[in-house]
Amino acid sequence: MSERPSLWWIDWRLSQGPLVRETIGRFLFFCLFGFAFLSLLLSGGASRFLADRYAITAVLRAEVPSAEAEGLARKAAALPPVRSAVYRDPEAAWKEFLRAYPGLDPLRGAGGSPMPGYIEVRIRPDRLTGADVTLVTSALRAVPLVEQVLAGEEWLPRLLRAGRLAYWVGWGIFGAFLAGFFLVGRLQERARAVALAADFAFLTERGVPAGRLAFFRAAAAAVSGFLLAASGTAAGGSALFLCLRKFPFLEGVVGPPSDLLLPRTVAAAALFSCGAALLSAAASLLGWRAARYGRK
Amino acid sequence: MSRGIRRILFVLLAAAVSLSILVPASARDISADLRKERGRLLEMKEREEKTAQELTEALRKEKRSKGRVGELREQLKRQRSLLSRIDRKVSALNDRLERAEKDVRELAAAHGQARTDLERAEVVAFAGQRAGAGDPWHPSARERERYFMRVYLAADAEGVARITRARMRKEEELSGLERQVAVTERKMAREKKVGDTLLSRQEEERRRLADIEREKKRKEKELKSLRAKIARMESVVSRVERQVKERERRARKAAAGGSPVREPAEAPRRFASLSGGLSAPLAGKVVTRFGRQHDTTFDVTIENRGVEIEAASGASVKAVGQGEVAFAGAVSGFGNVLIVQHGGGLFSVYGRLETFLVKQGEAVKKGTVVGNLPGSPSGKSVLYLELRAGGTAIDPTSAIPLES
Repeated sequence: MSERPSLWWIDWRLSQGPLVRETIGRFLFFCLFGFAFLSLLLSGGASRFLADRYAITAVLRAEVPSAEAEGLARKAAALPPVRSAVYRDPEAAWKEFLRAYPGLDPLRGAGGSPMPGYIEVRIRPDRLTGADVTLVTSALRAVPLVEQVLAGEEWLPRLLRAGRLAYWVGWGIFGAFLAGFFLVGRLQERARAVALAADFAFLTERGVPAGRLAFFRAAAAAVSGFLLAASGTAAGGSALFLCLRKFPFLEGVVGPPSDLLLPRTVAAAALFSCGAALLSAAASLLGWRAARYGRK
Repeated sequence: MSRGIRRILFVLLAAAVSLSILVPASARDISADLRKERGRLLEMKEREEKTAQELTEALRKEKRSKGRVGELREQLKRQRSLLSRIDRKVSALNDRLERAEKDVRELAAAHGQARTDLERAEVVAFAGQRAGAGDPWHPSARERERYFMRVYLAADAEGVARITRARMRKEEELSGLERQVAVTERKMAREKKVGDTLLSRQEEERRRLADIEREKKRKEKELKSLRAKIARMESVVSRVERQVKERERRARKAAAGGSPVREPAEAPRRFASLSGGLSAPLAGKVVTRFGRQHDTTFDVTIENRGVEIEAASGASVKAVGQGEVAFAGAVSGFGNVLIVQHGGGLFSVYGRLETFLVKQGEAVKKGTVVGNLPGSPSGKSVLYLELRAGGTAIDPTSAIPLES
């Protein structure tokens, strides 16, 4: 009875040196991809940035007491699309206004502050859509205490369009790089298959089916791809975490570091690793076929 | 007055006729005197009547003038009160005017300042809009600031409008006050002129009143003097008449060989023996004595059968002793005469009374008020008092203590 040799990690056994180099390269790329993936995931493209810039202002009537205004702010904060709703009293509004127009302070004299209080409502980045904004503004306009709702109706569609564009551009670039990485991987797999063609022909002549050989090679590539993607994403995530801690202003674009540890982020990273495994396997099979049939 | 004169003339004429018949030589002299005095008396009566009329006219004028002066005083008082009120009103209006002017000045300054502030705020707003126009990073904040700037400018514009309205209201109020002040000042000038006119009229009226009063005093003095002369003359004529009658009576009694006349010295004792004694009819001074007296005014010698007592005008005349009113009526030459019969042939006669307070036949006691003396502008009147005992007049000062 002839002993059937194990085909797991056949490439590693036949060509360790080049494979180490490839693996290091792929890990580094996966670090970058992980960093970019998590950044895009957390930022939602430009949604978080835009959501930080955008706020709905519910200007209250002059005679509204603070307690009622605070209550209204709490109710607004309870709306699903709302991330935060903060009441600012007339004094705070006046100070903010004077900060914006410092030359006005001495002009007012004894006239006092004419400013009303207001509630600043900020939308969740993932709910920054026209429908959600309309939902919130409609709810606020229905309140008798509210004098005016400033929701940027003139420029909000442009803002949302820009946000969508940034989202697709970000993910598009990411996808393009990922596709490029896939093509490079396929070329590497083909090159290795060509380089190891004599060894594979030897194994085939000894009764090892070519399909089985290709399967095991793809399976090993998938496993390694998953592991590399997972570790690279973890490393990229760590780097992103450090960056966010070191440069807090980035939180306005990406989000808080704590979001990296959210289950949905981890799940997305796992899915990304699975995708990377599939892509690695696909690149291995495509490289094998190209080498076998003499295609580029 | 004319009836009294006629009565006197009649009496005088009758006396003259009887004297001329009964008394041959001396009576004729008396009669001539009587005629002469009658002429003088008539003349004096006419003068007195004229003077009295003039005095009455002067009194009427004085009353009218005093009335006018009083009216003018009242008018002046009202005028001064009105002027005082107008003056207070003008003062209050001036105060309000001053305050309104100050308010207008302050509002004008505030208006200017507010407009300047608004213009500068507009400049700041414009600069701020320009600076933030292209800021894509904080669109919501910019939107809110723009809204607040509109609120600020609206508040400032409202402030300017409010000040403008207040200023216009104040200016209207000011012009209204100025008009009021002008009207009130014109009214005050008019009322002052009226007051000056009233004052000058009052002064004129006072001068006229002073003239009237001087004239009145002169007339009163003249009238008093005339009345005194007339009274004396009437008294003289009356006494002459009585003397004539007395002589006739004595002559008839002597011819009939009647009982001798009681000694006059007994008469005071008889009066003194009256129950309750005698007392003075009033407090006064004896100005005409009893008995034969020479009148320097008319240069005649007359025989007084009583005394004349000068007392205050309107003074009460009391009965000198108890008795019964025998007569109360007018007697020529004595005016209103009251005769009290004390019994035993004793009588007391009170002449020149103004009013009687008792009636004929009424019993009186000593001190009972029987009448009043007439009023007189000089404040003095004269009572004629005569005491008769057994038909003979006795000196009242011998029976009653009288001030001489």
